[in-house]
Amino acid sequence: MNHIDIIALALRNLRQSRLRTILTMLGVVIGVGAIVTMVSFGLGLQRNLLRDAFARIDLFTSITIIGPGADALLAQSDGREEDGGTPEQPPARVLDAAALAELRAIPGVRYVQPQITYQGIVRYAGRTRRIAVGGAPDNIDFNPRFNDLLAGRYLQSPSSAEILITERFLANMQRRPGSPRSGGGPFRPAPLKSDEERRREAETAIGQTLTLLTLSGGPGGPAESTESVFGIPLPGNSNTINTAGYEERVFQVVGVLRTGEGIDFMPGGNALAWLPFAEVERLRQVQGDPLRQLGEMIAGESGYQNLELRVADLSQVEAVREELRRRGFNFFSISNQLEEVRRVFLIVNASLALIGGLALLVASFGISNTMIMSIRERTREIGIMKAIGGSDGEIMRIFFFEAGLIGLAGGVLGLIAGWGVDRLANLLANRWIARQAGQGLRQIDFFSIPWYLAAGAILFALLVSLIAAIYPARHAAKVDPVIALR
Amino acid sequence: MSILEAVNVTREYRMKAETVRALNGVTVRIAPGEFVSIIGTSGSGKSTLLNLFGGLDRPTSGEIRFDGRSLSTASSREMSRYRLESVGMIFQSFNLIPTMTARENVALALAFAGAGRQVRLEQAAELLTRVGLQNRLDHLPTELSGGEQQRVSIARAIANHPRVLLADEPTGNLDSRRAAEILEILAGMREADGRTIILVTHDQQLATRHADRIVRLRDGLVED
Ligand SMILES: Nc1ncnc2c1ncn2[C@@H]1O[C@H](COP(=O)(O)OP(=O)(O)O)[C@@H](O)[C@H]1O
Ligand SMILES: [Mg+2]
Repeated sequence: MNHIDIIALALRNLRQSRLRTILTMLGVVIGVGAIVTMVSFGLGLQRNLLRDAFARIDLFTSITIIGPGADALLAQSDGREEDGGTPEQPPARVLDAAALAELRAIPGVRYVQPQITYQGIVRYAGRTRRIAVGGAPDNIDFNPRFNDLLAGRYLQSPSSAEILITERFLANMQRRPGSPRSGGGPFRPAPLKSDEERRREAETAIGQTLTLLTLSGGPGGPAESTESVFGIPLPGNSNTINTAGYEERVFQVVGVLRTGEGIDFMPGGNALAWLPFAEVERLRQVQGDPLRQLGEMIAGESGYQNLELRVADLSQVEAVREELRRRGFNFFSISNQLEEVRRVFLIVNASLALIGGLALLVASFGISNTMIMSIRERTREIGIMKAIGGSDGEIMRIFFFEAGLIGLAGGVLGLIAGWGVDRLANLLANRWIARQAGQGLRQIDFFSIPWYLAAGAILFALLVSLIAAIYPARHAAKVDPVIALR
Repeated sequence: MSILEAVNVTREYRMKAETVRALNGVTVRIAPGEFVSIIGTSGSGKSTLLNLFGGLDRPTSGEIRFDGRSLSTASSREMSRYRLESVGMIFQSFNLIPTMTARENVALALAFAGAGRQVRLEQAAELLTRVGLQNRLDHLPTELSGGEQQRVSIARAIANHPRVLLADEPTGNLDSRRAAEILEILAGMREADGRTIILVTHDQQLATRHADRIVRLRDGLVED
C-alpha cells in the first residue's frame, strides 16, 4: 500500500470520529498557539531593541578607544609599580599623537579620529545657552550620523567657519535654560510634527550665524590662533572678535542633523553642535577642564579623552580588537555588548518556548489517548486488515499518519491562532499606548513571527504528534487477528 | 503433492490457571483443487486449524506447509504476504469493515497488494459482479442482507487470486436457502478456477454436498 492510500485511510478514520479528532487537534492548536505567541513576543522584543542596532553595520565597525583619566595619570606619575595597575588591568594607554599614528598603522583600521566634546557657551538667534559642542570628524565614511541631514550639507573643510547643528539644538534653544528637557536623555521629536514640517524648520536655520564664546588667552589663544598658509590667512580664523575677557567666534550654520528617536548609540552623540575638528582641537586647549589641565601639568600630557576608530570591514573587527588588547589600549565596542544581549534573549526565548512546549506536551498526551481509544474501537478492523494481507508496518503507518495529520493540521491552525492572538494583542497594546501617550506615535509591532518560528512550530507539532503515536501505533501493529476476529 | 498440509500440529492456549489444547497433534493433507469439508462439534478445534492454515496463527508445535514450504520460519512480514496472496479467508461473521461500501471493502484487499486506485475500483466491481452483486457496489454492509455480505467477503477473499479459499462456517448466520447459494458460489470457484476449498462447518448435510472428502475433528484430533 503506498503512502497516498495510507493517508486516505488515515483521513477516513479521522473523519469518522470527527468530534474526537477536532478536540484532539484543539489541544495541539492551543499548544502551538502558545508557543508561537510566547516566542514571537520574545523575538519581537529582541527585534525592537536590536533591529536598529543590527541593521547598522556602522555601529559594529566602530571602536571607541578610551584614554586614561586624570586620576589614573596622577597615580601613574606617583609610581608605576604600586598604583599603575595590575596585570589583569593595565593602565590605559595615553592617546597622544604617537598612539594615534600607531593605531592608524594597525591593519584593518580605516581611520582614527579623536573625539572631542566640551561644554561651550553659544549665542544663536538672540539667545545664549550652554551646550555640548563636538568636533565633527573629517572622515564620515560609515558614519551615518553625519549623513542624516534634515537640511543643508556637511562641513566643507576641516577648518572652515562652518558649523553643523542638530535638530535637538533648535529645540533646546527655544526652551528655558535648565528646563528638564534641555539636557540629555532620549530625544523625542515633537509628536505632531510631520517630517515635512521638521525639514522646513531646519531649512530656516541654514545660513544663520552662531557665535561661540570662549575665554581669551591660554595656549591656543588668540595670539596663536591666526594660522595661515604662505601668509594668506585661512577663512576659519577671520571670524574671531576680541572682547573684554572673552572672544566671540562666528560660525555659519550649513547643515542640520536629524536627531533620531531614542538614545543615540554614538559616543559623544550628545553634542548639539558640531564644529570642524581643527576648530575644536584648538578650543580644547583654551576651554579644557582646569583640573584636568592641572593634572596634565603635574603628570604629563594626557592626550585625547577618546578616539573613534573605524574598522574597514566587519570581518576584521575581532582581529583589530585583539590587536588593541595586545597593545594595551582601553576600548569599548558595541559588538560584545550585543552578544550578551543576544544571549539573554536566547534564554528568554527558550524559556517562553518551554512554557508553550508544556502546553504541547499536554496536547501530546491527548494525541496518545485518542490513538489508544481509536485502536480499542477499531481492533476488529485492524484484525480484518491483517487477515486480508495488511502488514504490521502498514497498520503502524496508518496510525502514524493519523497522528501526523492531527499534528500538522493542529500546527498550521495553531500558527494561525498564535498569529491572530499576536495581532489582537498588538492592536490593543497600541491602542492603550496611544491613549496614554497621545496620538502621533509610531505604531509598534510587539511580535515577530520569522519563517523559522512558523516552520519550527509546525514541525515541532508534527514531531510531538509522531512521538505520541509511537506507543499506540506499535500496539495496533501487535493486535492478534485471531483474537480481534473472534 | 499437497498444496496445504498440517503435520503433527498442536496448538495450546495458555491461560492463568490451565492450558487448553485446541489441537492435539493433527495431521491433514489437502491436494490442489480439492474441496475438503472439516466438521466437528463446537470446540473441537476447527477454527484453530483453519486460522493456522490461513497464516493468522502459528502452531505450538508441528508444522504448516504451503506448497511444500514450511510457514514455521516465515517472518511476520512473510506471513502477511502469505495471507495477502496465497490464501483467502471467509468468516461466519463476514468481517467486512462497516464504514466501507462493498466495493471499498473488496478494493482494500487490492490496495494491500499495491493496486492503483482506479484499477482496484474497477477490479472490485468485476469481482462483485462475479458474485452477483453488480447492483450493490456502493452499499454499506449494514445495507446488505447476510447472504449479500457473505458474497462481498467471498469477492474480497478471491481478489488477489489465492490458490486456496478457507471458509470458517460461512453459512452459520444464514438461512438454508442463502447457505446453499453461498456453497454454490464456493463450488463454482473451484470449478472455474481450480481453487482449493477448505470448508469448516458443523452441518453434516452441507459438508457432504460439494466436498471431495470430509475431515472429522474431535477434541483436537482427527477422527478416522
Ligand atoms: N484464544 C483462545 N484462548 C483460549 N482458548 C481458546 C482460544 N481460541 C480457542 N480456544 C479454545 O480452543 C478450543 C477449540 O476452539 P475452536 O478452534 O474455536 O473450536 P471450533 O471452531 O471447532 O468451535 C476451544 O475449547 C476453545 O475454547
Ligand atoms: Mg469455530
